[in-house]
Amino acid sequence: MDNREIIRLREVSFGYARENRVLEGVNLTIRAGERVGLVGPIGSGKTTLLHLIVGLLKPQAGTVEIFDRPRAVEKDFWDVRERVGLLFQDPEDQLFSPTVREDIAFGPLNQGRSGEETERIVEETLDVLDLRGFEDRITHHLSGGEKRLVSLATVLAMKPDVLLLDEPVNGLDGAMSGRIQDLLLSLPQAMIVVSHDAGFLGSVCTRGVEISEGRVCEWAKGRVGGGA
Amino acid sequence: MSCTTHFAGDTVVHHLDPRARIVMTFAFSFLVALSEEWWVLGASLVVGALLVSLSRIPAGALARRLLRLNAFLAVVLLLIPITAPGRPVLEVGPIHYGMEGLLWSLRLILRANAIVLAFTGLLGTVELFTLGHAFEHLRVPRKLIHLFMFTLRYLDVLHHEYETLLSAMKARAFRPGMNLHTYSSYANLVAMLLVRSLERSERIMGAMKCRGFRGKFRVFRHFAFHRRDWVFCGIGTLVLVGIGLREIAGG
Amino acid sequence: MHIADGVAPVPVAAAGAAIAAAGVAWGLRVLKDEQIPKAALMSAAIFAASVVIRLPLGPSAVHPVLNGLAGILLGWAAVPVFLVSLFLQALLFQFGGITTLGINTVTMGFPAVAVYGLFGGRLRRARTRRCTFLLGFGAGASAVLLSFALWAGVLILCGKQLAVIVGLALGPHLAVVAVEGMFTGFVAGFLARVYPAAFDVSEQMRREGGP
Repeated sequence: MDNREIIRLREVSFGYARENRVLEGVNLTIRAGERVGLVGPIGSGKTTLLHLIVGLLKPQAGTVEIFDRPRAVEKDFWDVRERVGLLFQDPEDQLFSPTVREDIAFGPLNQGRSGEETERIVEETLDVLDLRGFEDRITHHLSGGEKRLVSLATVLAMKPDVLLLDEPVNGLDGAMSGRIQDLLLSLPQAMIVVSHDAGFLGSVCTRGVEISEGRVCEWAKGRVGGGA
Repeated sequence: MSCTTHFAGDTVVHHLDPRARIVMTFAFSFLVALSEEWWVLGASLVVGALLVSLSRIPAGALARRLLRLNAFLAVVLLLIPITAPGRPVLEVGPIHYGMEGLLWSLRLILRANAIVLAFTGLLGTVELFTLGHAFEHLRVPRKLIHLFMFTLRYLDVLHHEYETLLSAMKARAFRPGMNLHTYSSYANLVAMLLVRSLERSERIMGAMKCRGFRGKFRVFRHFAFHRRDWVFCGIGTLVLVGIGLREIAGG
Repeated sequence: MHIADGVAPVPVAAAGAAIAAAGVAWGLRVLKDEQIPKAALMSAAIFAASVVIRLPLGPSAVHPVLNGLAGILLGWAAVPVFLVSLFLQALLFQFGGITTLGINTVTMGFPAVAVYGLFGGRLRRARTRRCTFLLGFGAGASAVLLSFALWAGVLILCGKQLAVIVGLALGPHLAVVAVEGMFTGFVAGFLARVYPAAFDVSEQMRREGGP
């Protein structure tokens, strides 16, 4: 099985304000095919970590290496963002186009794909998520669960090699949660999944990482996550 | 709750190309705004009424919209003839009601109502995002379209947030009154939503960058003219030319 | 303070459209693609506020206008923002008009820019809460006053008989000027304490603007 390292964070430190460090000397390696569950108390820096990986934030110290290349400035992250798909916590932040079709098309169009190719990708992606018929729906009229699925579609449409999922089942009912769980299990990509739902993580993930007081450490699968 | 709904339906008007509808509406409105002839204004009103009935605009909603417009016009009708010079039609004590002013006001009422009816019938029936796309095809500047689309996208979200926060305030015994506390409470509400909007816009920009956005928006093309659209444009043009000629002949 | 369809004769409407077009063009030039979400969200927030909020005034209530606020927060971008806002108001509420879009954009949007010029810089540099409030008051009040003046001027251009409407509207509008001033002052104060970066948006656009 393909075991190469895809993401490598070395001694990464980050703080939003000068005095306040959220992450302190974080070391983390993600390999192809791994499904890593990321847990930690609220405010511990889980979202921050994901944003550091795609370069929306830049660390004050340490290095970020993605696909075997160090990434430091904005330009370094352009191709990272095409290959590492980030699912935001709040679908309202991710669905900014009028219709579902346009929102899903946004990524592929930015990747330089033609109109017909993009149209085909939109259809395929909707199929994978069992959302046929949603093409012309207005994004802001969708229900919470539907918005979450469409958000996922917008990310999957770019055919990323890695998925970063920030609380993908937060606020969803059991049925929708199960649907997403089955979907994630069927995808080949490596992924980092942030969640408070221990059962969900237990079913989906192959490995667990915990953030606590700015540092990360491995935790054994099966242990209820969170807390110091 | 939504303040961005349009009058949905399945009539012949609803199936017309939005681009044609936009062009016709603007052309009609400008022509009517220009007109002075009674015959022309009357005909325009009929055209407006026809469009509204063809698109089956619900009577109640239409009445509410016309009420707003005509409340203002009623004030005009009441006041202008008094101040305008001209032979008196009516005399109530010291107040002289002038003919010129009366005619001027009546023309204004016909004009305004004709335009609003046409506007509601033709453009009130288009889904707003579709309208944005149609404007884009009509070569309106790209940045303006995107400004429009984004505003539209988040209008309901923010409207809902205001209502929610207002409810929370009322649940804590807030009762609006003409006092400083009320004004400053509402001001906090507005400012809070502005801050949240600014932060949300940062996150949206982050989401866009994550999907490859590097400064330029790209758009899908759609819309195609059908036979009914040509028919509509044909009839529309005839009507406009007719109005224009009658106006010139009379003037 | 909107002028409805049919009130303005074509020469006035056309002149208004031309002036508005120039203002919109400049505003769009200053507005970078990256700032469109920001401008749009603030525009949606201001639009929604003006619809939802009713400030009690005497026997009834008024909706806040917020063009002063829009001016200090958006700078020149306020002009295209108002064009969008006015179009939506005409479409959704029959408020204003489409032949008069240009005129109304000028009467609402240009005072916003003027107020940005007069108060924007000073607000960013204000040190005390009192100073912030006063500058905010000045911005809100002046914007509405300028809008009223422009509206009155245009109305009279549309027909000298309409001067009586201006006369009648004067009293209530002066009250609105005061209320708007207070309101904007309070909002400015809140922003200065909680999110001072809000005042930098218009500055950012001014500095980074252009091709």
